[in-house]
Amino acid sequence: MTTRVLLVDDEELIRAGLRAIIDVEPDLEVVGEAADGVEVLPLVNKLEPDVVLMDVRMPTVDGIQATRHILDRAAEPPKIIVVTTFENDDYVYDALIAGASGFLLKRARPAEIVRAIRVVVAGDSLLFPAAIRMLAANRGDARRPGLREAGLTEREEEVLRLMATGLSNVEISEQLFVGIQTVKTHVGNILAKLHARDRTQAVITAYESGFVTPG
Amino acid sequence: MLGWVFRPVVQRLTYRRWAYMVIGAVLIVPFTVASVLVVPPLLNVLLPAPVGQELLVIAGAVIVVVLGSSAAASFIPAARVVEGTAARELLGHGVPEHAVKRATNLEARWKTCQWLLVHILIGTFVSFFTLFVPLALVLSFAAPFTGLWLQVGTHRFTVPTGWQSVWVPVVSVIAALALVHLVNFAGWLLTRLSQILLSPTPADRLEELRIRTEKLAERNRLARELHDSVGHALSVVTIQASAAGRVLDTDPQFAHKALSAIEEAARNALADLDHVLGLLREDVPTTTPQHTMADVSQLLDTMRQAGVQVNAEIAGDLPGLPFAVSTEAYRIVQECLTNALRHAGKVPVTLIVNAAGDSLEVEAANPVPANTATTQGGRGIKGMRERVTVLRGQIQAGPDAGMFRVRARIPLRNGGA
Repeated sequence: MTTRVLLVDDEELIRAGLRAIIDVEPDLEVVGEAADGVEVLPLVNKLEPDVVLMDVRMPTVDGIQATRHILDRAAEPPKIIVVTTFENDDYVYDALIAGASGFLLKRARPAEIVRAIRVVVAGDSLLFPAAIRMLAANRGDARRPGLREAGLTEREEEVLRLMATGLSNVEISEQLFVGIQTVKTHVGNILAKLHARDRTQAVITAYESGFVTPG
Repeated sequence: MLGWVFRPVVQRLTYRRWAYMVIGAVLIVPFTVASVLVVPPLLNVLLPAPVGQELLVIAGAVIVVVLGSSAAASFIPAARVVEGTAARELLGHGVPEHAVKRATNLEARWKTCQWLLVHILIGTFVSFFTLFVPLALVLSFAAPFTGLWLQVGTHRFTVPTGWQSVWVPVVSVIAALALVHLVNFAGWLLTRLSQILLSPTPADRLEELRIRTEKLAERNRLARELHDSVGHALSVVTIQASAAGRVLDTDPQFAHKALSAIEEAARNALADLDHVLGLLREDVPTTTPQHTMADVSQLLDTMRQAGVQVNAEIAGDLPGLPFAVSTEAYRIVQECLTNALRHAGKVPVTLIVNAAGDSLEVEAANPVPANTATTQGGRGIKGMRERVTVLRGQIQAGPDAGMFRVRARIPLRNGGA
């Protein structure tokens, strides 16, 4: 089964480059392109992509708004990866808070780009945990509630902490000496209790509520 | 206790403060000389005979004139710089840093005026004692032997000879110590006062804030410009090169196109970088000679070598233009030509310069590619507009029927245009 990718970037040359890089992979396929955030929602509904690679800065509707839009309105919201020129960009963290599953630098190597798409689709590990920790640390004080009331069990809290460090489900199961299926159950419960769409969102909530301190 | 008495004698600050007091007295010397020469004859004319010759009246009038003219002089903005610099150097770091800045608003000038008057009054007072006390101290040691202590003009201060006049040197030493303490205290007082009179006024603070904000905005603007131009171009280069590498064998046509795109993006990035670096350098005051319209043909040659096709019509006496007008006109021509090259590429530029009439007219126009977003002009145009306005001229810049046109008109004579 191939992963369907939608590209959103106002620069045609970037889209063409990404398309060439992605289309070479047998398991990935670019199904469409958009040049601005306004065009994305109808395209998502029409093409039903699994992943959207979304430029952060665009002329009319930027990547953050478009992300929010898609996640609120799309019938089957895809995973969203925001694409940015600079790592040190406030918008990236805003996009993660808006619900993006990860981010990619435009200077990433082709292998990293395709790996990022696969990681986000699989959902069993976190994309660039170190960079997310750094972004959270820079923004540190934007605390929001949401974890105390969630009622996580002690074991689930432990699993969430390990998720934030970037461990995959397999690695967590090895660390805690439990079966992979048990870990998957825990992760599923955590996502449900935190109302998180995916792993990234759960970790962002953990940082934002101060449950995990970036540092 | 002894330490308290003698510390001012040995500390260097006391003598720096002393120098500042003496300067205060010296400041009024020219005013005093002038008014001593001018005031008595004037009073003689203005007032009835006996009153106009009264010593007290003359002295009073001289003092009023001296202080009045000093106060008036303090309103020269540079007076503040001189006074403030001297105060900061000599009174020490208790004097606010702002003291050395020009007084740019009325409140600051009033405060400078008050400061100057206080400086003059305290300085004159201290200097008066400075003239007599050290002299009296030196001579006091001889007084018990000679019977003469001090002679001022024909007035002689005599004392009996022998042991009964031992008090004379003792009192003189105490007076000298007291003077040192007076200087020290006056210096301290002035330092405290400077924090009120020479510190930034609300208007100064506002101005400082405005300048700081402007600098910050400028830095942000440059950062954004680098982000948008060079960052963007390098992203294109990176991704296109990555893609080309991946599909080199399977899709050579794509690789070929990618190479062209990379070349173009890198070239534009260099041009943008050049521009931004130029802006960064612009803020550094240059010591290079400024170009005038007399150098414009050289500029046109340079631009033609760079590939810009310039059709120039130049009329009038260019070397005879006023300097300010001439340098500004040169900058306008330069800006227009480089903008044309930067935004539109190697397009033909029409340039009309006419210095024949009452005003200098400069018009530059170049076609703009249809697909580029035409702006109302960036910082370059804004800068031009500000400078042309200062010269009482007008400038229009903007897209006009497929062309980008800049038209400036600067009057050459007072009341002209």
